Amino acid sequence: MIAQLRVIIQRLGALLVILLVIAGCKGETDKQAVVEKDPSQPAFLQIGSFSVQHVSPSRTHVRDGAGRTLVLIERGTEPPKNVPATQIIRVPVQSVAAYGYFEVCVLRALGVLENTLVGVTTPANRWFIPEIKQGMKNGKIAFLGDSSKIDFERLEHQHPELVLTWDPAIIPMLDQLGIPCVVTTTPEAMCLNARMRFVQFLAPFFHKEQEADAFFARIRSALDDIRARTVTSTSKPKVMWGDVYEKRVLVEPGNAWVGELVGLAQSDYQFDDIFGTSCIEITLERFLYSGKDADILFTYRTIDSGATSKEALARMNPLIKDIAPLHTGRVYSPKPHYVQSGDRLDEILTEIAAILHPDVYPDFPLQFFNELPDTDPVLAQKENKDDDK
Amino acid sequence: MTTATNTTTLENAVKSSPSTLSTLWKMAGSINLSIILLLLLTLDSLVGYFCLDRNPSLFRPMGDMGLMTWIDTYGRHNLAVTGWFFVLLALLFVLCCNTFVCTTDRTLRILRNRKQHSTARLLFRLAPHCMHYALLLILTGYLCSYLFSIVIPTQTLVIGSEYILPNQAGTIRFISFDPVTYNGERLYWLDGNVLSPKATLRLSTPHTEQEAVIGFNRPARFNGYSLHLKNFEPKTQGKMHRKTRIDLHVRKDPGVMLYLAGLILFSFGMVLYGCEWIFFREVSKK
Repeated sequence: MIAQLRVIIQRLGALLVILLVIAGCKGETDKQAVVEKDPSQPAFLQIGSFSVQHVSPSRTHVRDGAGRTLVLIERGTEPPKNVPATQIIRVPVQSVAAYGYFEVCVLRALGVLENTLVGVTTPANRWFIPEIKQGMKNGKIAFLGDSSKIDFERLEHQHPELVLTWDPAIIPMLDQLGIPCVVTTTPEAMCLNARMRFVQFLAPFFHKEQEADAFFARIRSALDDIRARTVTSTSKPKVMWGDVYEKRVLVEPGNAWVGELVGLAQSDYQFDDIFGTSCIEITLERFLYSGKDADILFTYRTIDSGATSKEALARMNPLIKDIAPLHTGRVYSPKPHYVQSGDRLDEILTEIAAILHPDVYPDFPLQFFNELPDTDPVLAQKENKDDDK
Repeated sequence: MTTATNTTTLENAVKSSPSTLSTLWKMAGSINLSIILLLLLTLDSLVGYFCLDRNPSLFRPMGDMGLMTWIDTYGRHNLAVTGWFFVLLALLFVLCCNTFVCTTDRTLRILRNRKQHSTARLLFRLAPHCMHYALLLILTGYLCSYLFSIVIPTQTLVIGSEYILPNQAGTIRFISFDPVTYNGERLYWLDGNVLSPKATLRLSTPHTEQEAVIGFNRPARFNGYSLHLKNFEPKTQGKMHRKTRIDLHVRKDPGVMLYLAGLILFSFGMVLYGCEWIFFREVSKK
């Protein structure tokens, strides 16, 4: 009886193997029959936590920062029945509301900003982008209210076909209004590759794939140039990117694009071992420890928020007054228009490389960052006058 | 002539097939194969560690979209980083076959000689095999999870909003958020940070209504679905106060019952094995 049982089990095993092989072959054939891929586009593109999958010439699936799958369909085609209406987006999208500067810059890089943007969450006086200033002036682009308290009636009035946001909390409200949205941030900071390729994520929404590819090629060329130039540099500076606030210490982690760029440009990023979200919170001790032998500090603060000199930074945060960049090193603060210049990413990357390696970029004119002087110019003049007296 | 030769070959093949099968069976259940497989699995996992490091975004979608879709998208297009995973699947498949054959062989042998042992002793001798079958059950459960689960990866809810489960299976309403925050002085940088998020949900069907509190590692079950807290805001009590929201991960997972059954079977086998060690082996030593 046992022998019979054994034979039965053996035969069942063999049958299972044959069935698995048949099932595998059948599955492959079915897939090929269903999916008609556009040969001009890659079938699947992963951009950090985002992805684009061209399912057929008239249908694309994208995965946004919140992990939701949105279905892009051509205008005039039948929408899929098993997908909620707010997750179906008809392309090319003709009107967009954007929450952040980053999204606006991507729209600008794609060349669709002027024609599609209808709403922003920053008032007119804080914009540096001429198209937006003009659009807000003539009423085409509306200020929708601060991002934490959007005026949904105003938003609805603008009739956006799509909202680009970093805040998933508005999804339930937008679902009620029937407006699809794309979450553009992720729990992890964007790596350099994702930062460069993000235009390729938004491109299918506007049929601007070629523009996105051209943008990516431009950035890649800039990176190649940075790599080639900095490899000859003899220095290897240690870099920090972050700041200390009243109760919190925030830095860019090693997986963020700035951390990767610093490494690529033959420099050491002091927070390379930290992994997580952009502007990640760390302990003060860790910040001070990294600051002991750092050469360069990039602060988040602009001149408007008090970063006028090293002395001013030390005055605002007495705890960091002893870190090396404030004494022997250099400190850089972003200029106010830096955050609105994402469409000039190649120039930003080159400027950061030039800051890290002035020996290979002699006399490089800074457009996006200010090097902080030791003391405030006004205070220094006052002190000189006092000395003269 | 050719036809005659072919017929002879076929006859030989038919005659030899039971022995071929038997040889294959023996090879599949060999302990040497197990050791080689375990070494290869260790090596592959080591490679996997370096591929996973800082690439979680490549593997995370597997839990949402299922194994087959993941293979067709992320897996197939990033072979340099995902190749180790395919090797892992193949190795695990062979290990499962190996474990099944080996265990079945031994189990049958024990059952064949069942008259030599008392019932209790027979049960104890089956304990390791019980654990092996449990392992197979657990792995099958995980495979089922990745193949057949219905997953809603992220459903964002703000207080008062609701979500209707697929096929109108029920409604989830977000009632309140009562997080436990750190208010000590020793770890001053954690002051005001949320330590344990607690979201209260009202789960209703046309006939029933209940409330459930979910948190990290504390899912709720509702009408065949499990509701997991994936993310939440605000994470701190402070000036940069964000609007209260929770991100739910909703899934209907047919594999859960399988791997729970596997875990129970494994525990049972472990207890039996422990008893055998304590009683029979100690007794035989004396």
